[in-house]
Amino acid sequence: MNRVEATRVIVQLAGDAPIVASLGHPAYDLFAAGDRPRNFYTWGSMGLASSIGLGLAIARPDVRVIVLDGDGSLLMNLGSLATIGLLRPANLVVVVMDNQEYATTGGQPTPTAHGADLEAAARAMGIAASATVRTEDELRQAMESTRFIVAKVQESAPTAKPPLDCVFIKQRFMAAIGNPETATQGASL
Amino acid sequence: MTTTTMTTPAWAVGVSTGVHAAGSRDVVYVPDNPLSHVLRVFEQQFRDVRLYLATREEEAFGIAAGLYLGGRLPTVMLQSSGLGNSLNAVTSLLMPYQIPVLMVVSMRGDSGDWNAAQMPMGRAVRGIFESLGVPHTTVESANQACDTIRCAGKTAFGTRTSLACLLPRKVTTGS
Repeated sequence: MNRVEATRVIVQLAGDAPIVASLGHPAYDLFAAGDRPRNFYTWGSMGLASSIGLGLAIARPDVRVIVLDGDGSLLMNLGSLATIGLLRPANLVVVVMDNQEYATTGGQPTPTAHGADLEAAARAMGIAASATVRTEDELRQAMESTRFIVAKVQESAPTAKPPLDCVFIKQRFMAAIGNPETATQGASL
Repeated sequence: MTTTTMTTPAWAVGVSTGVHAAGSRDVVYVPDNPLSHVLRVFEQQFRDVRLYLATREEEAFGIAAGLYLGGRLPTVMLQSSGLGNSLNAVTSLLMPYQIPVLMVVSMRGDSGDWNAAQMPMGRAVRGIFESLGVPHTTVESANQACDTIRCAGKTAFGTRTSLACLLPRKVTTGS
């Protein structure tokens, strides 16, 4: 299973669930697999996709939130696993596309190429419903009930990039999930 | 069993009241000694405010951004030393996406601090905010805390601009 194949599976299974994607290849593949207003593409803030997803899941317990992270990205913010393990929102699913390399920056190996085990890290931080998957069938099965999924994927060359306008991405996303940004504005008279 | 009654400083009541009056009901924080008073006021007097512990300031801003996407008006409370841990989140998430976060920054390394390790960042904080274009304001006294923070929050959430309120040590610790 390569990353774009895994991303397609997730988009198919997502239904109306918002998806927050880490910058670079995870976001590019999400766009290629299926652009939709409920995709939140990050263009920076490496490491924070799971934190953004956590905040959204807390704010909207009625909505299932999916995070597409990368192994290199999550390794920049491992504390996020402790916070997710502390709060344990039942509506948050974090999928780490673990290609064992920093593909967006030229393919340097990440520590997962040398044995670092992100599933074990998640379990140790209190996220018991964690799994590592290697096939599309395993991924489909894990998406049913697992909160933290390490998807071992081969790198696949991205074919497209998401919109560049960050404010457009945000406003389209917020409107799609029922929090139109205009609703946050307007001081009381 | 003994009950310890801790005196609540007026500045901390002002900060909590200002955050609440600005409409924020979600506070993500990284622990700090003076800010512990603010947390206690939230717990005792503003039960509708939800407090979330983050392991690091950068993470706190990520969580706050997600809260905003979900329709909330988030506050992040941090020590000024933690600003250095957060700059990539501020510059590559909050600013380009125009995601407003009310930052309440407890100062280290300003007048009265005794810790040399805190001084370089303490001296640099305002300059960093200015070079980034992040508006900042300073709570000058305990009795101005509420209004300063309420107004900052109103501007932040009304104009979708992240904005910082600095709490000097002379206000928070009397030193």
